[in-house]
Amino acid sequence: MSRLAKNKLLTFALFLVALQLILAIGAPLFAPYDPMAQSVARRLRGPTELNWLGTDQLGRDVLTRILYGYRTSLIACVLAVGIALLAGGALGLVAAYYRGWPDRIIMRVMDVLFAFPVMLLAIGIIAVLGPHTYSAAAAIAVVYTPIFARLLRGPALVLCESEYVAGAKAIGASDARIIFLHILPNLASVILVQTSLLLSAAILVEASLSFLGLGTQPPTPSLGLMLSEGRNFLQLSPWSAIFAGFAILFLSFGFNLLGDALRDTLDPRLRGQP
Amino acid sequence: MFRSALRSAMGAGFMVAAMASASAQVLEIGADNSPTGLDPHLITAFPSFMVVNGNIYEGLTAVDKDLKVVPSLAESWAVSPDGKTYTFKLRSGVKFHDGSAMEAEDVISTIKRVQSKEIASPLASRLAAIESANAVDPQTVELKLKEPSAPLLSSLATIAIVPSSVETNKDVLQKQPVGTGPFKFQEWQSNGFILLSKNDSYWQQGLPKLTGLKFNIVPESATRQVGLTNGQYALLPNIDAATALQLKGKPGVKLSETLELAYTLVGMNVSKPPFDNAKVREAVNYAINRQEIVDAALFGAGVPGGPLSPALKSWALDVKQFPCYAHDPAKAQALLKESGVSLPITVSMNVLPRQDVKDIAQVVQEQLNRVGFKVELKNQEQGQFIQDWRNSNFDMFASINAGSPDPDEYFYRTFRTGGSTNVFKYSDTEIDQLLDSARTMQDQAARKTAYDQVQKKLACSGPVAHLTYGTLFSAMRDKLQGYDVMPNRSLMLLRSATY
Amino acid sequence: MNRVLISRLIDLVVVLFGVSIIVFLMIRLIPGDAVAIMLGANTEITPERMAELNRRVGLDRPIIEQYLLWAGSALRGDFGTSLWTGRPVATEIMTHLWPTLELTFLSLVIGAVLAVPVGCLMAQTRGGGADVAMRIAAIAGLTIPSFWLGIVLILLLASFAPSFASLGYVPFSEDPLGNLQRMLLPSIALALPILANLSRLVRSAMLDALGQDYIRTARAKGLSERKVVYKHALRNALIPFLTSVGIMTGYLLGGAIVVEQVFAIPGLGRLILGAIAERNYPVIQATILVVTAGFVLVNFLVDLLYIVVDPRVRA
Repeated sequence: MSRLAKNKLLTFALFLVALQLILAIGAPLFAPYDPMAQSVARRLRGPTELNWLGTDQLGRDVLTRILYGYRTSLIACVLAVGIALLAGGALGLVAAYYRGWPDRIIMRVMDVLFAFPVMLLAIGIIAVLGPHTYSAAAAIAVVYTPIFARLLRGPALVLCESEYVAGAKAIGASDARIIFLHILPNLASVILVQTSLLLSAAILVEASLSFLGLGTQPPTPSLGLMLSEGRNFLQLSPWSAIFAGFAILFLSFGFNLLGDALRDTLDPRLRGQP
Repeated sequence: MFRSALRSAMGAGFMVAAMASASAQVLEIGADNSPTGLDPHLITAFPSFMVVNGNIYEGLTAVDKDLKVVPSLAESWAVSPDGKTYTFKLRSGVKFHDGSAMEAEDVISTIKRVQSKEIASPLASRLAAIESANAVDPQTVELKLKEPSAPLLSSLATIAIVPSSVETNKDVLQKQPVGTGPFKFQEWQSNGFILLSKNDSYWQQGLPKLTGLKFNIVPESATRQVGLTNGQYALLPNIDAATALQLKGKPGVKLSETLELAYTLVGMNVSKPPFDNAKVREAVNYAINRQEIVDAALFGAGVPGGPLSPALKSWALDVKQFPCYAHDPAKAQALLKESGVSLPITVSMNVLPRQDVKDIAQVVQEQLNRVGFKVELKNQEQGQFIQDWRNSNFDMFASINAGSPDPDEYFYRTFRTGGSTNVFKYSDTEIDQLLDSARTMQDQAARKTAYDQVQKKLACSGPVAHLTYGTLFSAMRDKLQGYDVMPNRSLMLLRSATY
Repeated sequence: MNRVLISRLIDLVVVLFGVSIIVFLMIRLIPGDAVAIMLGANTEITPERMAELNRRVGLDRPIIEQYLLWAGSALRGDFGTSLWTGRPVATEIMTHLWPTLELTFLSLVIGAVLAVPVGCLMAQTRGGGADVAMRIAAIAGLTIPSFWLGIVLILLLASFAPSFASLGYVPFSEDPLGNLQRMLLPSIALALPILANLSRLVRSAMLDALGQDYIRTARAKGLSERKVVYKHALRNALIPFLTSVGIMTGYLLGGAIVVEQVFAIPGLGRLILGAIAERNYPVIQATILVVTAGFVLVNFLVDLLYIVVDPRVRA
């Protein structure tokens, strides 16, 4: 693919993600209604001038709830992937830097966590914590931690072997300094790409969990929950479920495309490849 | 181990194939939930009840469509003048599905089974009044009571008669039920289906007309609806208004409806502030707009209701008799002011995880917040909800409960001081006295007067704000004849249905 | 080669041991009195019944003893009996295993079979708007929520071809046609992301292959273009394909949980969701353990295959 097309794709992805982020952050400004305001008389309507995307089973505005739903989903997923990145990243770097028994123990534990299918471990964790947005976030964080640990340990190992780090050690730089100033910046592109891709996946997991009634709970607006509630009324008014489904798709799509485009642009090993 | 399990599972699969193709008259039913067991004395939840009640098992008595007690395995009965001795004449020629005859011994061991501590049946309290059971002859059973018990005949309808051989066995009936009913248990593939086949030696001549019932477990509402409209399922029993609305007018589909016994409620914990204050509870009742709940959550299919279902025509008071049922936010605010509790009143409300209850909770939350409450909804996972409910660990909760045909069955355990499901910790001497005396009364009119008083008192300042009684629907193919939805969700009418 | 094999085997055992501990602890950490929760809403309860259930679940013993007893019998294939139905848990798992296996297998096959032509098509339209469009479509396929797609498919089919919309599950051995008819929609719902993923692999392998020397050689030898491209490019795609099978199995198992719920398929997903709702501890434990062990084994086999296919790993 030509460089130009690549840049266009990256720009498009950035635009898509930024747009949805702005909508989520500015939900109270943009949303035409109160997300909790019910109106039985106007429930389960299709798109009208008053409610652009229709209303749900309690007459709440679907557009408003989708905007707030973006917020819930993003908060949960950014939190989850953020924690996973911090925890997994730290563990991976420590393992790579110190080698020996810390490496063995950490990576064994990571192997065990990594062995679980994502949804299954998430469901198990929620069985313990109880269904809630933050339980879902915690579950996703636990599940993704080993991914970051494994991802960072490999390249970090190579970097630790490099003359460049050996040089830093020789002039007496502290371990923390070496990790933060010399190793981490070199891993930035890997981290950025993976974070974006995992955010995309996390959005789907969070939506699946909410769909199963294990994630966000009413009356909090959440995309997965809207789909889950809306599906009981599909033949009366499919709008709430349909639009919520599209919102999940767009959000997850945006991050995935961003990750994909970033990989093309940033990842030196892949540069020049199709 | 694995391999043999696999083989038996596949073998069972083949058997069903042969059966299903042999007859087109197995009624395909789309059920939403899988039962957790089929022992009628252990599992009382709706998914099990629907399968076993009146289909596999029968009691001495039965409750008909109008909730009246009618003879079933007992042909007739006589009550002594002091109301403490009941003599049941058993129907002759009744056989269990294993071929043995149903006799007085079986009835007696059934009662012992339900009462025994080892079986620990949740139905035990319904038979608490029975002191002893004796067989006068193989066809006659005599029950001696500690004190007269007005709800006994209605309670007996819920006690399935099982063979005496299983009296102390608590495992066998869970997976392999043996009853006297028109259908016998054939196969259960968990999360797949439960198959019942025709009981050829059923005591009622010419019944059942269907050759079998197949309960397909289909958790997704949209999927069940598609299954009914395309003719794969012939019956979706006991569905809510939202589902019924979606099926209304679909070609080949008809609906049957009734007002149901089950009620939605908001429970309040009277053992701690703010609901220890009767004025606050009354304010809740004034603040709630029950008609709005019916319209919003039940799609207009239902009625506002008091402590007893309007389906219980001989017992329930008209809600117009309860002053607090007139929606009056100003009055609610005034009451809160009088109560002296500082506003806003911050409380949490536990919510049973069901779509209708979740919707109702959201509506109630809005209504209460308008008069000075600050309600936080706690949507819990089923197990957690039950645990908190059992341990009285709540400020308020929103839920739906199955009702009973006799007022005592609900009132006594729920509102009597120390009652077994009085999780609200409600205690009121007047109510206690009324409940104690009403359950032993023989005179229907006097009993009615007592329960009228109970209803009036409980409606406005009791620990439960009763909300609504929904219309219960069943959706079925046009071809299905002779089945109607029943207020207690029993499918016993399927014995005379044809398809 | 043997050394590699042995160290992988040791890894496998360690991981499975860790998994069993986590599964065991997870259940014990569930808040509240497990037994009280099991008994259901608005039912009356006696202390005797509580004690009896506690004894039956084994919750009255020290935790180490509970683990050893559980792990010991699990190794012998005995996972206890389901709390409610009294059936052996192993039987429950076996009966629920086949629908899930079939679903994952069919989705994988559908995805893989379609991925070859789609990937080739993508490779041929390299560059320009068509390429970008294909790529965007692939990502959309990857991120479409399968449960949502499932519901939409059911409704579409119900309104356009109601007689084809068969729901539920019949075993293949019983009614092969009915079985495939019922599995078609759920498999498609699950296969889309697989297709998206694999077609991208095929595409890049294809492009790689086209640029290689041996293709030029092969062409020079007069082999037909199509044969060359397919044979070499697909062999090239095999290794990345193998690596992603492990990941895809994990995805499929997760997706199956939700899709089974929508299509009323009595598979492992239904088993575990039902067991969680009912607090059926023995079933939850055993199902998570067995599925995870299966997942670990699949990845282990993929590793082995990898060693066979790619000689460099043997060193």
